[in-house]
Amino acid sequence: MTTTTRDPDHEELIRLLLSIARSDRRAFQQLYQKISARMFGLCLKLAGQQELAEEALQDAFVQIWHHASEYHSDRGSPLSWMLTIARYRTLDLMRSRAVRRAGGEEHLEHLEDQRSGPLDESLRSAGAKQLTGCLDELSDVQRDSILLSYYRGLTHDELAMALSSPIGTVKSWIRRGLMALKRCLER
Amino acid sequence: MKKTPERIESLAAEYVLGSLKGQARSRFERWMMESGRVRQEVWYWEEKLGQLSDQVPAREPPASVWQAIERQLWPQKPAARSTGGRGLWPAWSLMATAAALVMAVMLVQQPGSQAPPEPGSRLSGAIVQADASDPLWLVSESGGQRHLRMRSVAASSAQTGKDYELWVVPAEGNPLSLGVVLVGDVLQVELTDEARTMLHESRTLAISLEPEGGSPTGAPTGPVLHVTKLYEL
Repeated sequence: MTTTTRDPDHEELIRLLLSIARSDRRAFQQLYQKISARMFGLCLKLAGQQELAEEALQDAFVQIWHHASEYHSDRGSPLSWMLTIARYRTLDLMRSRAVRRAGGEEHLEHLEDQRSGPLDESLRSAGAKQLTGCLDELSDVQRDSILLSYYRGLTHDELAMALSSPIGTVKSWIRRGLMALKRCLER
Repeated sequence: MKKTPERIESLAAEYVLGSLKGQARSRFERWMMESGRVRQEVWYWEEKLGQLSDQVPAREPPASVWQAIERQLWPQKPAARSTGGRGLWPAWSLMATAAALVMAVMLVQQPGSQAPPEPGSRLSGAIVQADASDPLWLVSESGGQRHLRMRSVAASSAQTGKDYELWVVPAEGNPLSLGVVLVGDVLQVELTDEARTMLHESRTLAISLEPEGGSPTGAPTGPVLHVTKLYEL
């Protein structure tokens, strides 16, 4: 698996993680200063509410403190590894609390006609630029299902409602979309 | 369920995306524990889908999150609790980040530098701004550690109705004011015994933005603009 070079802080983050693995609290604080805003932005986008995002951020950093030694390059860039930890933690909290975004259902209804709603335009186009353009090769519904799951943590049920489609259909959009994405990325 | 390559591929992607839930998710986590092949597939997607996070705008978390992390990881700090200023220095440094104004350079302490200051040692340092080549202020002790000398280099005046206030920040507890800092001057700050001891212990100075004339409460009230660590000459 290739190590990404898009992150200029790559080496610095690896150095900090190594220090943290040796219980260096100063390095831990530096890491927090370096990436907490990035991480919090992601948690907040996903959770759609401040309190839960703060809790997820806290939990993620506690996990990083305990598990820094488990990072290795097969897991992708150090930043991606840490953001993944935060993202899973946010999803866990959302699911365990059965979080529904305030006014979420209303917004979801707009998705169909206006192609906006819960997925802002900036993220839609940003997603397209990433993944080497492969998202563009998916059908609209496949891409939207994937992006809504990724950025907003929508469940199959919520997606079915957002896209006014049976849950089985939504599931297959996601599955086929992800596989098409992989085929494209492997080309 | 058998771990066919197709299933691993599809479930790993859904696991990372988050759409795999409940029992199916737990079952898949078991697969991950059992199989390196499954883990590889998960890591592949974590890296690929992780690219989507690049475009999410960053947001500064409130300083309370860092404090909560510290409390959770290092709970017992009785001395700090009594002062009510627990974890103040990290919180300060975060506020400095949150203000998005500057990041102070942290000068790495040399090994053994934790020892008490030798009689002749002097603290020295600079208050810097990340994107500027010149320091805002140069700081040094003078007069046999009785004074702190601050020379403004590239600092610009505080906005109207505001003043910069200089603080010595202890490792734990509340910061101690060293007074208002004027720009365009060489400022001699007299160090009380308390301030001097505190400074030699923590070597940490901070500058906050306060109402004209300095903080009315004796504690910082405005944003902390700079935090810097001094070193021994």
